[in-house]
Amino acid sequence: MEEYSLTLGAHLLLWFFPLALVVLVIVENLLDKHTREPER
Amino acid sequence: MTPVEGSTLTTVAVVMVAYLGVLLFIGWRAARRTHGGEDFHLAGRSLGAWSAGISSTASSESGWVTLGAVGMTFTYGVSGLWYAPGCLLGYLVNVYLVAPRLRPLSANQGSVTLTDIITRRWGDPRNVLRVTATTIILICMMGYVAAQMTAAGKAFSSSLGFEGRSGYVLGVVIGAAVIILVTSLGGFRAVAWTDLFQGVLVAIALIALPLYAISRLGGFGALVQGLGAIDPNLLSAGGDRIGPALWGFIIGQLGIGLGYPGMPHVITRYMATRNDREVQRLQVIAMFWGVAVFYGAGLVGLAGRVTLPELADGEQALMALALQLVHPVLAGLILAAVISAILSTVSSQLLVAASAVSYDVVEETLGRASDDRRSLVLGRWTVAVVGLIGILVALTEVRLVFWFVLFAWSGLGAAFAPLILLALMQRGVNRHGALAAMLTGTGVTVAWKLGRDAATNPEIFARVWWMTLIAAAAILVLGQLARAFERGDQIGVVSAASLTVVSWWLVQRWGLHNLYELVPAFFLAAFAALAVSAITPTSEGSPSQ
Repeated sequence: MEEYSLTLGAHLLLWFFPLALVVLVIVENLLDKHTREPER
Repeated sequence: MTPVEGSTLTTVAVVMVAYLGVLLFIGWRAARRTHGGEDFHLAGRSLGAWSAGISSTASSESGWVTLGAVGMTFTYGVSGLWYAPGCLLGYLVNVYLVAPRLRPLSANQGSVTLTDIITRRWGDPRNVLRVTATTIILICMMGYVAAQMTAAGKAFSSSLGFEGRSGYVLGVVIGAAVIILVTSLGGFRAVAWTDLFQGVLVAIALIALPLYAISRLGGFGALVQGLGAIDPNLLSAGGDRIGPALWGFIIGQLGIGLGYPGMPHVITRYMATRNDREVQRLQVIAMFWGVAVFYGAGLVGLAGRVTLPELADGEQALMALALQLVHPVLAGLILAAVISAILSTVSSQLLVAASAVSYDVVEETLGRASDDRRSLVLGRWTVAVVGLIGILVALTEVRLVFWFVLFAWSGLGAAFAPLILLALMQRGVNRHGALAAMLTGTGVTVAWKLGRDAATNPEIFARVWWMTLIAAAAILVLGQLARAFERGDQIGVVSAASLTVVSWWLVQRWGLHNLYELVPAFFLAAFAALAVSAITPTSEGSPSQ
């Protein structure tokens, strides 16, 4: 029986892009918290 | 769709009634906290991160995310998922570029609507910008509201077991009546809170159902094997497209995101956010919601293709999977999520259309400034009247109105997104350039869209150039009769007409009709704003910053 698999482009579209985006959002938020001046 | 048993239908109907009850309860709670005009139109600028974040995203997606997006991957496999990066890039621009700048600008200006942002940013002594922006918003929004009410009516009638024409009418009336009541009583706050409730419901449905469906298939590996056995092209990022058709498709799908900064019902959520801290929290919430919902919808379509390969309409995959795989109570909740996606958009668009009439036309353009209490009453009655017109259009199915819907997303996006971005980046644009951008965005959208459909409507497409000239002449005459136009405005109108005709020629000459109309319309509108501003005299009266 033939084995099928996702192409490289499909992997990038289906997994890599959303995961990279989520990581970026989290890192940006952490950096933002780190650099933000404490509120008075 | 798979035939549904009577007992399942009854359970689903009970869940739907409970869902409508929750919406009414939220509307009642919001109404108790709504005391004046700014409360009604902008929730007194008091939204927290969750309601602003999820409301901004849920209101932008409509039934498209639970129906159209699912249908894309059902039909085209993984290559149907290109809408997801397109939309998420639009979210990124909105929450990281627009929201943090728009909230303080709007608060400083005292702006209540998108039209307010534009007119106060560049000055509008003769109401040229306000009338133009309000007209574009009203035409697009009324079409949208009626189309969404039609979709809600169909979804309600099928989930509540109503049949035939009378069932459709009943479905439209029930869905619309609840939304009109909730929106007119609680205004912006009710819309944002119901959006939060509905947005969470949509996210849960689109996360849980595909995970369950894929596990039933035997895991992700089994899903891939199932898709490959149907058609190996379903497993590639390009599908069966090659060359220019593939690149045109990808650029067009990524181009969907260009429209987000121009959606009045989306960016008013940022204007209503309480403070900068809430905007920062909103960014994370909105992005996570977007990733979950877009990729969840994509996985539903993929799982649906393998689980229900005989399903004729891929857009029904979410509902069909729910009715086949899960308990009727959960199926009812998932159907409620489908309707939620529609109703959260209807209520937001209804409020924008009503604000355009009651605030932009009556209070600002006609100068019937009233006290806060009268503004609230006026807003409530306008929602009721605009909503009733929406019901009538949905029931009579006036074809002209639905024709406008085809242009609504691109039209609003191209007319306003470049302007909002330029307004926030403080580039050299004046009010004549702003007028040219709105008209160019709208004109190019219509011309390009007609070009894309030229195969089915060749006669209409061939008439675009002289229809554009007539429209431009009519605008110029009206502007002169109303003594509203300055020389710069006339240059703006002529420039917009010229760019529209040029875009029509480009489509005809170079066959660029495969490109999604929002992409050229957006960039030509931005060009029009900058070029017209550069060649027109500096406006008298300094714009507010």
